[in-house]
Amino acid sequence: MRPEIADIERSLAGLFEAQVTGELLGVVARVSLADVAGALEALKAAGYETLIDFDGTDTGELIELTYRLRSYALDLEVWVKAPVAYGGTIESMWYEYPSALMPERETAELLGVHLAGHPNPKRLLTTDGVEPLLRKSVAIRTVEEVRDR
Amino acid sequence: MTDHCDDTLGVGLLCEGQHEPGTPPAGLRRAPSGVDGLTTEHLIINMGPQHPSTHGVLRMIIEVDGEEVVAAEVSVGYLHRGIEKLAEHRRYDAVGTLMDRGDYVSGIMGELAFALATEQLMEIEVPRKAHWLRSLTSELNRLASHLVWYGTFGLDTGAMGQFLYAMREREALLDILEAISGQRMMFNYVRPGGVVADLPVGVEEKIRAFLGTFPMYLDEYDQLLGGNEIFQARVKGIGVIDRDMALAFGLTGANLRASGVDFDIRKARPYAAYPELDFDVPLGAKGDAWDRYTVRMGEMAQSARMIGQLIDGMPEGEHTAKVPRIIRPAAGESYASVESSRGETAVHLVSDGTEHPYRMHYRGPSLYAVQALEELLPGHLLGDVVMLIGSTDVMLGEIDR
Amino acid sequence: MALDKLTGENSMLFIRSEQLFDFARKNSLWYIAFGIACCAIEGLMSASGPRFDFDRMGVFFRNSPRQADVMIVAGTVNKKMAETVKRLYDQMPEPKWVVAMGACASTGGPFREYPNVVLGVDKIIPVDVYIPGCPPRPESVQYAFIELQKKIARRTEERLAARNS
Repeated sequence: MRPEIADIERSLAGLFEAQVTGELLGVVARVSLADVAGALEALKAAGYETLIDFDGTDTGELIELTYRLRSYALDLEVWVKAPVAYGGTIESMWYEYPSALMPERETAELLGVHLAGHPNPKRLLTTDGVEPLLRKSVAIRTVEEVRDR
Repeated sequence: MTDHCDDTLGVGLLCEGQHEPGTPPAGLRRAPSGVDGLTTEHLIINMGPQHPSTHGVLRMIIEVDGEEVVAAEVSVGYLHRGIEKLAEHRRYDAVGTLMDRGDYVSGIMGELAFALATEQLMEIEVPRKAHWLRSLTSELNRLASHLVWYGTFGLDTGAMGQFLYAMREREALLDILEAISGQRMMFNYVRPGGVVADLPVGVEEKIRAFLGTFPMYLDEYDQLLGGNEIFQARVKGIGVIDRDMALAFGLTGANLRASGVDFDIRKARPYAAYPELDFDVPLGAKGDAWDRYTVRMGEMAQSARMIGQLIDGMPEGEHTAKVPRIIRPAAGESYASVESSRGETAVHLVSDGTEHPYRMHYRGPSLYAVQALEELLPGHLLGDVVMLIGSTDVMLGEIDR
Repeated sequence: MALDKLTGENSMLFIRSEQLFDFARKNSLWYIAFGIACCAIEGLMSASGPRFDFDRMGVFFRNSPRQADVMIVAGTVNKKMAETVKRLYDQMPEPKWVVAMGACASTGGPFREYPNVVLGVDKIIPVDVYIPGCPPRPESVQYAFIELQKKIARRTEERLAARNS
């Protein structure tokens, strides 16, 4: 279920700015964007074999990425969060966790960030020319627009 | 003629004029090579968003060498309708209507994931009866969803009769669900705090009547499809997803259990009434399509068993906690997973204390299954492609959201 | 010209033979197996199931658009799908009809506010019958087919009216 915070801190030792806290969500490790690859590699070596979920949240100033890792052998789950600026670049973690292939494409497309190191960084869900639809700055249709369809 | 025209094929090639040895004679477009003298090209086939395999609008671009698949690319997004974005503009008790339309065959479980995520942020206690009603409708919905899988999986392998049997059983289940929730498919039944309504009078008899005949029919259906020699030859040993590949691609649910990993959210992270129910979790050994078939048939039997226990032990009490008319959970983040018929459906909810969610991320298990298909398909025959898509039980609504 | 008067569009020979063909067409409306979203489970799969038997009306699915008469647009059409819908419609041979099933195909449905969604399939192709509901019950889809059959039968009266005017 929840790992010990000390264990996660030990796994992530050596990564500056890694803050590990216990929250309602679970045990969350907050790292900087540059340390994401190192953090995930360290956690994979510590036994977290699967990336179960990956998404991004537009906080209004930046985009917060959330990785959810699970170890079936130890029955533990840990979260890794990292901020990225609008239009920033995220490094693909597909070589460690192949389950990140499509979620990364989707997050990059819908939240307007670039994807580096991905074997197939094309758009996933929308056609060319569509703006990053999950950004808070993109509005949905109004009632009048729908009525005058 | 015969000194420069190499008729190894024996088909009577007409070769005229002089040519350099080692180059194709005039009249042949390509140089024969190899033992049988044929050169081949790889063909790129588009299995477009419209195809008879009714898993939804999935598009696959497959490169084949003869009959063997060399590479496959999955193209999704033909059903991207913004469930996550629109949830930011709906009230909490209305987001269930969006979750219903995600994995549209198992709507209760999608609603349940969102309700659980919301309840983690609210300070309420869900009454015991609500837990039992949620489990009851979840298991009924799981049966309905697996019946759709069973019917369409047979269609994918070429069998057409069992689809009608599956639809007949599904009609009985949808009658029950319609009596409980009012709708055949988009139930909108599970809300944060509990469920919308209690069981109506008479539905218990309907459920018992259904359970009286269902185990016998389930055996019949297993023999109808699984006992068929042609089906077994098409399915056994094909599409092996071993444990490492299943873990690497984040598979969950029946796809994962068929590869031998014993992880069921109902047992590992229990929610609703599952801690009090008695059921087994079927496992597979090899991870081929046959294992995925037997695991899901086993899950249907276990669901029927659970429905019997749920109906027998249904407690008295309120069907919902007292929730305000406009729900405003505390600001924060929560995450809730449920075991839906396709795997682990989860909702990552970020709330800012207002009446609309700030961000709702919906983890659909089929997205991970469909990206595993890109790795799984190369090496198999073209005729296996449709069968393998059906064996992983993908549903486009939760991929595209 | 004399031959035109005998076999042209306004001739009784043409109108009465088309009446016979329309009778055949309306009683064997084959739809293309094209289920986009949730409505497909209700309107295509359940309606063809044993309870709401579509086959007794002569309605059956065909896999290829080139062999189909009707396209039931069952589900939300978004910008990526719109091109495919138009292409499939163009591939269907005449006479063809379109049934917009459900709220999404009629006007955009519960997803109308999302910018990626097309507000109804009649923005792309002409629609003959609209079915409200989310999802419509299979009986509604069958009722829509009965209305479509009536619409096909009315073509004879329209041709007679055009001839007389």
